[in-house]
Amino acid sequence: MRLGRLLSLVASNLRSAWVRAALAMVGIVVGTGLLTFFLGLGQGLREKVLERIFPVNQLELEPRAVQIFGTEQILGQEPLDDARVRQVAGLPGVVRAFGKQKSSFPARLWGGKELLGYNLFTEAFFDGMPAAVLRAELEELEGAAAKRGVTAGAHSDRCEVDLDCAAGLGCSDGVCVPIVWADRFVEMPEVVLPCSVGDRCPQGMNCQQSRCALAAEASPPVRCVLPAAAGNGRDLQFDREVGERAAPCGDPLGYCGAAGTTCGEGRYCAADHPETRLGWCERPLPAVINPLLLEVFNSDMARSLGAAPIGSLAVLFGVRFHVALGDSYFSKDAEKQRQQFKQAIVVGFSRKAPELGVALPRELVRHFNARLKGRAAADAYDAILIDTASNQDVPQVIVEAEKLGLQLSRKSRAARTFGTVVLVTSLALVLLAAVVLAVAAVQIAQTFAMLVHERRREIAVLRALGAARLDIAVLVLGEAAAIGLLGGACGGGAAVGAAALVDHLAAQWLADVPLLPQGFFAFPAWAVPLAIGVAVAFTIAGALAPARRAMRLDPAAVLAEG
Amino acid sequence: MSSHVAIEAQGLCRTFVADGMPLHALRDVSLRVSRGESVAIVGRSGAGKSTLLNLVGALDRGYQGSLRVFGQELRALPDRALSRFRNRQIGFVFQSFNLLPNLSVGHNVLLPASFGVDLPHEALVERARTLLSEFGLGDRWGQKPAQMSGGERQRVAIARALLLQPPLLVCDEPTGSLDGETAAHILDTLRGIQRAQDTALVIVTHDPDVAAACDRTVRLDRGRVAVPAEAA
Repeated sequence: MRLGRLLSLVASNLRSAWVRAALAMVGIVVGTGLLTFFLGLGQGLREKVLERIFPVNQLELEPRAVQIFGTEQILGQEPLDDARVRQVAGLPGVVRAFGKQKSSFPARLWGGKELLGYNLFTEAFFDGMPAAVLRAELEELEGAAAKRGVTAGAHSDRCEVDLDCAAGLGCSDGVCVPIVWADRFVEMPEVVLPCSVGDRCPQGMNCQQSRCALAAEASPPVRCVLPAAAGNGRDLQFDREVGERAAPCGDPLGYCGAAGTTCGEGRYCAADHPETRLGWCERPLPAVINPLLLEVFNSDMARSLGAAPIGSLAVLFGVRFHVALGDSYFSKDAEKQRQQFKQAIVVGFSRKAPELGVALPRELVRHFNARLKGRAAADAYDAILIDTASNQDVPQVIVEAEKLGLQLSRKSRAARTFGTVVLVTSLALVLLAAVVLAVAAVQIAQTFAMLVHERRREIAVLRALGAARLDIAVLVLGEAAAIGLLGGACGGGAAVGAAALVDHLAAQWLADVPLLPQGFFAFPAWAVPLAIGVAVAFTIAGALAPARRAMRLDPAAVLAEG
Repeated sequence: MSSHVAIEAQGLCRTFVADGMPLHALRDVSLRVSRGESVAIVGRSGAGKSTLLNLVGALDRGYQGSLRVFGQELRALPDRALSRFRNRQIGFVFQSFNLLPNLSVGHNVLLPASFGVDLPHEALVERARTLLSEFGLGDRWGQKPAQMSGGERQRVAIARALLLQPPLLVCDEPTGSLDGETAAHILDTLRGIQRAQDTALVIVTHDPDVAAACDRTVRLDRGRVAVPAEAA
């Protein structure tokens, strides 16, 4: 049968029995709507909730621990060193593996005045993360590629230090250009690491002249001195006008230049320890924070502190805060000569950063651990971060890791549990939708059985005029498919609309709930077409038996009925 | 077989089974109809007229014996080929018109073209309009059958049967639902087409006037040919 003629006949038949067709379609609309809704919900929970917390194919492994008197204890394990990391990287399905080291020294931080009008103070915790682990996410959340394009051709005001430039711009080669913050999170940033004889320095560096230095340095850091005007280094270096314009010394151990000269673009004068004005020109510690921290602040803390919520992550780029390494609100401080007070600057956001803490380049954390807690604290990692080739590889990787005495971290375990709950719940809901569609298919079968019976004379006439049995079957199934298509489209559209409504209402009514995702639903391009396809498949399945009956009608017998 | 033979049946039998008992609807019927010839099939109710018409019209192929229509043994054809044969070679006209009520007059006439005809749509529409005009229904293209009289509906049905210019017209009581004047007009129409297009015309009828208007009459009695075919 010609397609155009088939469509015309299908449309004509549906028009003539539109009430019955509409009733038959109700079940399909409901079933398809539920299917689309639940598909979108499952996908949304995975993408907007689970993937935000911890991507499924990214795992964090820790040494296996046992519960002893309610606390987790690691027994008889080899340390997580570079050899273990290489071992894990070699497991089937593992694309890459990196060691992560947490800070083991006391520290505190304060800052936020430039944003909130006053400083917030807190104990500080750091995760030392390899730059390669965070790179892609930092660039994605910052839109770094676009900025680089702008930077390439940008020439703005002349400058000596970042302070000379407008917000969002930094001083580079004497001109203000847009800052690509992701580029500042590097393994070994331009931060001077003070040391004493016997201290551990990062790989490839040695302790020379009380700082860790490369064997051959192209441009050694410059000594600087903070003005004697008031106070000591710990306070002066945090005054940007003073810290960034402090006089550098021409000779590392000798005369310092005239007041008013500068440490240079993006640098400040960091005192060696809290009780001296002598320091090194260096850049602030590049810090990465978890975007969830902003949500926690906006949902809970801002109101308690009487502060306005922070609108977006973008305003946090370049915000400086201060860290006191070896100084604590709660525990015993390190000796003053070993403490370091430094500036830190927010250079990006990553979901891999600790929720309540700051991610720093791993080599910095290792060095600080070694300097403040001893070499042993710097020689072992706390966890191994791995990326698997695909989600399907994850179970096998976990099994293989367990053979190496490793287990999923609490965070990864929670993510996998949540992922399983989401998956099982989604499947159950999709199954419910499938049951509704199956019931609708039965309804379709009954409707079409009646229609075929009522139209058997028309079918016989069509056969007399040259329709083959297959043409009749195609005609009946075509009507069913049209009902499925229309019902599926209505159901799918209604589900997308309902999802948008739910997200809108949730955003309005649940605005104060911490960590609320930007909507609960995600509809991939295939979701609605898939739901429509399923609806068509179910209606065709329901119409198969009536179509078979129609094609088997004996036209001679039917026409003889008079 | 000579090329002018439209239908040739030899020893044609058709048996149905009702309540487990065989019912012989046709017994050893032999029949020959030529192109351009009109044959009336008459007989009492239950004599086998409609059964014979269904066999000749390729709607039923459960027969014994031989039945060739335009040289083609119908029993040998699979369903699709038989349907195509029916579509191209045979036009049907029914007593109750059997127009599809949901379709307009024009689309009813075009219906046979739905099944794999290679002619351009425009040409088919043009032919359908011409046929309706010839039958005085040129202005009724968009109307539904329910808006027409019985005679008009039957003329639409005849136009539908003639759309693809089949060489055989099979009519089951074509005037049975019409008044005398309309019936005569329809009969004239059918005879005119038969003569003009050298079409074989087989009419099942109870009406003696219709039978008399045909070239030949075949009387069936309890499934057998009671009166041998005779030349008109």
